[in-house]
Amino acid sequence: MPRCPSNNTLLPLLRKLSESLGEQQAKNELRWLIEHARKEIADGINIQQRILAQSTEHRLARLWREQPARSTDEIEREGDRLSSVQRTWLRQAVADRTERHKPLQYIIGEQKFGMANIIVRPPVLIPRWETEEWMLRLAELINTHTTNAREASATIPKPLNILEACTGSGCIALGLGCELADDSARILGVDVSADAMELAMDNLAFNQMLLSNQVQFHRADLQQAVHLLPTQLPVGEGGWDMLVSNPPYVTPSEYRELDADVREWEDIRALVPLPPGTADPQHVSEKDMDPSGMAFVEQLAKLAKELGLAGESQRDDKALHMGSLPRLVVEIGSTQQAQSACQIMHDHGFSATEVWKDMAGADRVVLGFFKQ
Amino acid sequence: MSVTRVTATRTLCNIRRPLLACALRSYVSASRGKASQHMPPGSELAGKSNLTPRIHERLQHLRTRYADLNARMSGDVSDLGREELAKVSKDFSDTGQIVIPYNRLLELYGELTELQQMIDESKDQSLRTLALEERQVALEDVAATERQIINGLLPKDQAESGGAILEIRAGTGGDEASLFSGELLRMYERHSQLRGWKFNTISSLEEGDRVKEATIEVSGRGVFGALMFESGVHRVQRVPATETQGRIHTSTVTVAVLPQATDVHIEVRESDLRIDVFRASGKGGQHVNTTDSAVRITHLPTGLAVENQQERSQLRNKEKAMQILRARLYDMERQKLDKERRDSRNRLIGTGDRSEKCRTYNFAQSRVTDHRINLSLYDLEGIMSGVSLQHIIDRLRIQHDLDELADMS
Repeated sequence: MPRCPSNNTLLPLLRKLSESLGEQQAKNELRWLIEHARKEIADGINIQQRILAQSTEHRLARLWREQPARSTDEIEREGDRLSSVQRTWLRQAVADRTERHKPLQYIIGEQKFGMANIIVRPPVLIPRWETEEWMLRLAELINTHTTNAREASATIPKPLNILEACTGSGCIALGLGCELADDSARILGVDVSADAMELAMDNLAFNQMLLSNQVQFHRADLQQAVHLLPTQLPVGEGGWDMLVSNPPYVTPSEYRELDADVREWEDIRALVPLPPGTADPQHVSEKDMDPSGMAFVEQLAKLAKELGLAGESQRDDKALHMGSLPRLVVEIGSTQQAQSACQIMHDHGFSATEVWKDMAGADRVVLGFFKQ
Repeated sequence: MSVTRVTATRTLCNIRRPLLACALRSYVSASRGKASQHMPPGSELAGKSNLTPRIHERLQHLRTRYADLNARMSGDVSDLGREELAKVSKDFSDTGQIVIPYNRLLELYGELTELQQMIDESKDQSLRTLALEERQVALEDVAATERQIINGLLPKDQAESGGAILEIRAGTGGDEASLFSGELLRMYERHSQLRGWKFNTISSLEEGDRVKEATIEVSGRGVFGALMFESGVHRVQRVPATETQGRIHTSTVTVAVLPQATDVHIEVRESDLRIDVFRASGKGGQHVNTTDSAVRITHLPTGLAVENQQERSQLRNKEKAMQILRARLYDMERQKLDKERRDSRNRLIGTGDRSEKCRTYNFAQSRVTDHRINLSLYDLEGIMSGVSLQHIIDRLRIQHDLDELADMS
C-alpha cells in the first residue's frame, strides 16, 4: 500500500496533542496510545470485541503480563514498527482526544483499579484515582478486622454483606472483591443506569478469575422512597453490614465549569444529584437541582438507617468488632461537603464519623460508625 | 598439504611456549625454597595462582573440619537435638561447597606433578607431546576449580542477586556530555537486552539524542552483581559533533547503580514524606479526569526527592516512586556500612563512590580504559554496542572477588 512519507511521522501528532494538553502530558499520552496500539490494535479489532472472543486462559495470561513501558525517545523509532491499521487508529485517537475532547481512558478502553482491570466505555463514569485510593485503604481496614476475628475465634465469621450504591462501571465492588480476603465478603453493586449495568456485568466477567469474593450487580433506582427499597434488593443472609458509595456530588454551578472531557462525555447522572424520577437527565433546569450537591448523600444516609446500619449490629459473631468498622462510606468533593456529610450522618443515628484525605491532601471520603 | 604443515607447526609452538614458561616457573619456585610451607605439593606447577599460602592454610583447616563433620554425620546422630542436627548438616553442606572442589584441586596438583615428571624424563617424543597436551587440559581445570573455591569462600551479598536501579547523569561538558550520556544509556539498554534483563525507563530528561539524566529500573537475576561496578565517573575523549575546530574535548557522565531494596526492609515513616501530585490545587474526584498522573515524593529527613509519571495510574506511580526512594535510602545505608567496613583498605575497585573516575572512552584511539583494573580494550564499538561490555564486567568481577579474598585471609 503506498504511503505518503509525511504521514508516517508521529511528530505532527505529538504537536497536535501538545497544543491542547501541554508538552509533558502530550508525550505521556502519546506513549500510552502507542503502547495500546501495539498491544491491541494489531489486527484492527477493538478491545471489547477481542475480550468477547478471547478464551479465559488467554485473558488471564494477558492480565498478568506487565509490559515494560517505553521511553519517550523511542516514540519515533517505535512508530516505524506500527502497521498502517495501527497508524490510522492512532491518528483517529489523537483527533478524538484533541477535537472532540474524548477522555484518554475511553480511547484506550481500560483502566486499572486496584487489582481489577476495569473496561470503560462512554457514558459510564471513568474510575478516579482518588476512589481507587480510598477503596484500597478501606479494603486494608476490613482485612485487618477479618484476620483478627479469624484468629480470635475458632469459627470463621460469616462474610460481610456489602452494598455498593451508584456502582457505575462496578469498579468499587470489583476492586473490593479482588482485595478482600477470600470469602470474607459478599458484595452487591446497584445502579440506575442501564449502560452502567451492562458495563458492570462485562467487567464482572472480565475480572472473574481475579475475584476472591462473590460480587453481583442489580439494577435499581435508589432515589425512590426508602421504605420501599429493602424489598427490592436481594438481601444476603443476616442483613446488610456496610453501605459504600461514590454518589454524584458535583454542584450545578461547578458542573457548568467542568472540563469538556468530563462534561461532554460522562453521564450527568454520575456527577450531579438530579431530582428523583428525572425522565430526561440532559434537560433538567438548574433551579430544580440541589445547589449543595448533597442530595444523594442524604438519601444514602436514610437508606443506611432503613437497612439498620445506624444501629447495633445484628450479627452474632462479636469477634469482628462491628463497632470499629465503618457502616456507611461515602465519597465527597470538598471540605464543606465533608462537614455537611458528617452532620447528615449524625442526624441519621450514626454515633461517630471520620474523614479521610486523598493523596493530594483534599477531604475525599466520609465514614459513619455506630459505636456503643 | 602446506596448510596442514603450517597448522602443525603452530600447534607445536603453542605447546612449547607454556613448557618454557613452566620450566622457568618451577625454577623460580624452587629457588624460593621453603617460603611457602603451606602450599600443597604440585601447586607450583599450576602457574600463577590466586590462592595465597594463607588461603591454602585456611582450606586445610576447612578440610579437617569437613572430615570431622562427615564422621559425625555418618555416626550416631540420635543424641543430637533437631536444631543441632539441622545446624550440623547445614555446616556440612556449606563446607562441602569449598572442600569438594579443593580436594579436586589437590588431585589436579598430583596429576600435574606426574605429568611434569613424564615430560622431564620421557625420551619418546610422541609421549611427551601427549603429556604436554594433557597438562594443558589439567591447567584449565585448575583455573576453573580455583574459581569455584573462591566463589565458595566469598561472603554472599543478598543484593547482588537482585535487580538494580541505574541512574545516569551528564556531568561537565555541556551538550557533549548529555550526548554521551545518551550513548551510555543505549549501551546499557543493549547490554540488558543481550542478557535478557528487563530495561524500564522510570524517568528521563531528554531532548532528542541528548540525555541530561535518566533513571532506569533493570530487573532480572544477578543484575546488581554485574552492574555494581559501573558506578562512578565515565570520561569521554573525542571531537564533539558541535566542535568546529577539530579539538578533542573531555566530558564526563556520572553513573550510579543502586541495589533494589525489595527483600530488605527499609523503614520509611509516613510522617517523613511529603507527597505532591499533579493538579493538586484543583478539586479532584469527579470534577476532573486526570490522565497526567505525576507523583513526587520527598523524604524530609534526607531531602531525597523522587518523581514518577510513567504509568497511567497515580497509585502505581506512587508505588514506583516509593520503590525508588526505598532503593536510594537502602543504598545510602549500604554505602555507610560499606565505608565503615572498607575504610582501612586500599582497593582497586571502589564500591560505587560516585566521584571516582572509573573509565575512559577514547574515540580517537577507539580505546576504552578501565582505570581500576588498568585494562585497555581497543574495541570501542563493541563496547558501546553492549556486547564487549561483558568482558570488562567479568574482569572487574574477578578483581573484586580477589580483593575480597585478600581481605579475608
